[in-house]
Amino acid sequence: MAQTVHSEPPLIAGEAVGAGEDGQPALIGSECANCATRVFPPVPLCPECMGENVAPFTLGRRGRLYSYCTVHVAPRGWSVPYIAGYVDLPEGVRVFTHVVDAPEEDLSMEMEVELTVAVLGTDADGGAFSSYAFRPSAPERSDA
Amino acid sequence: MRDVSVIGAGMVRFGKQPDKTLAEIAWPAVKHAIDEAGVAKPDIEAAYCGTALGGMMSGQRILKAIGLTGLPIVNVENACSSSSSAFREAWIAVASGLYDVALVIGVEKLTRFGGGTLPLEREDFEVAHGMVMPALYGMRAKRYMHDYGLTREQLAKVAVKAHDHGALNEDAQYRNRITVDEVMAARPIADPFTLLHCCPSGDGAAALVIAADSVASRYTSKPVRVLASELASGKYMTGFRDMTTPEITVRGAKEAYETAGVGPEEVDVAEVHDAFTIAELLYYEALGFCERGDAAGLLEYGETSLGGRIPVNPSGGLLSKGHPVGATGAAQMVEIVRQLRGECGNRQVEGAKVGLTHCTGGGISGFDHGACSIHIFCN
Repeated sequence: MAQTVHSEPPLIAGEAVGAGEDGQPALIGSECANCATRVFPPVPLCPECMGENVAPFTLGRRGRLYSYCTVHVAPRGWSVPYIAGYVDLPEGVRVFTHVVDAPEEDLSMEMEVELTVAVLGTDADGGAFSSYAFRPSAPERSDA
Repeated sequence: MRDVSVIGAGMVRFGKQPDKTLAEIAWPAVKHAIDEAGVAKPDIEAAYCGTALGGMMSGQRILKAIGLTGLPIVNVENACSSSSSAFREAWIAVASGLYDVALVIGVEKLTRFGGGTLPLEREDFEVAHGMVMPALYGMRAKRYMHDYGLTREQLAKVAVKAHDHGALNEDAQYRNRITVDEVMAARPIADPFTLLHCCPSGDGAAALVIAADSVASRYTSKPVRVLASELASGKYMTGFRDMTTPEITVRGAKEAYETAGVGPEEVDVAEVHDAFTIAELLYYEALGFCERGDAAGLLEYGETSLGGRIPVNPSGGLLSKGHPVGATGAAQMVEIVRQLRGECGNRQVEGAKVGLTHCTGGGISGFDHGACSIHIFCN
């Protein structure tokens, strides 16, 4: 198991976010010891070879934005509008994410983005929740 | 396998009917299909009811209203492909010789959920992180615009064409014509989509009676033969995928064309799953109606409008006719059956001999779509 990280407000990502080697939040996938298939979020069974010898695998923090769009209508609880995106990580895994810290016009296909944690909405009790998200990598960020 | 034909088809106008039960919405479509087929109730040997969100025993709830009970009733859930999958189950049973006559129902009552985006399975990781269907298609659209230079105006023209066709269909939820400007000025849903880029939420039902060709002539002089009944499920992929290629449709279309013995150039009319404007363009390419990247041109030259080379969604499609999820596949078939019988009045595709329906449902991470059902018919 990867080390858990504590975040306030609480993270909704379960085992998909853990502590990286530096103690900062990192995405956790799983890697099959038999066939090396990598999956995100982590799974107990390899979907490629059905092997059960899978172990947590810490994914890199930077990737490329495959696509994105601003979402204006979503189920109750999500802070709209938000930007949904897919990020391709160098480990060969694609991750669905919210893209934060930049307006949509500052984003572009294939731009480099980096992992962060962000407040994404409120639960049924009115408490805020957070999860992993991506933002433009530091040199390209508009506020940098 | 034996040849199988559709001998009766019925549907109710799609729209919001919150005060009706699922059975009250559906029975008129079922009765119409049975009456049109001219079958006596005891001749119907099995029923297959497709619904995504209709709840338990939907088929039984509907069929007790018309007193067709005691027979095997199978309820089928496959998201947007629910009733097209139900049709395929019925086709397998009749084609294999188990039954001579079977009934297919597609039904949905989305008004029970109020408004907003389609409720998806919350156990899914991406759904739990804020994935909604407009966002998934929105990302497909944005990537396609980036890769192929599609413009927002071209995208809006898909909705304009859908409403031009839907205006001619008395069963369509929306029968108003719209302009590109109106599409682009509507309220934003998920960029690049405004409300008019998205299929509406609503209620509805459609039904078909199918029969082995050996008995079909007892009932009708205008059977519509099933040339291919294809169902594919998505391939789960953990890595990268090209979101501008709906691989499940590409794969399903290849199999359907091979089974039917026809190619895309022989299809005279098609009903495809235009849940969002970009979807229709992606499916032109996936179904082989044009080359990769040429979909907007096909649309703008009027090739997919009534009067064009390959009219797509003469019914108005999901965008204008409506999309009560589980009813859609059966309703697409009702349109194609009526087109191939020459019964569509001022939206008739002249001389249509071969028709195709395409219905695909998703909302699960790791898949292009969860299910895709393609059918090819001829008169």
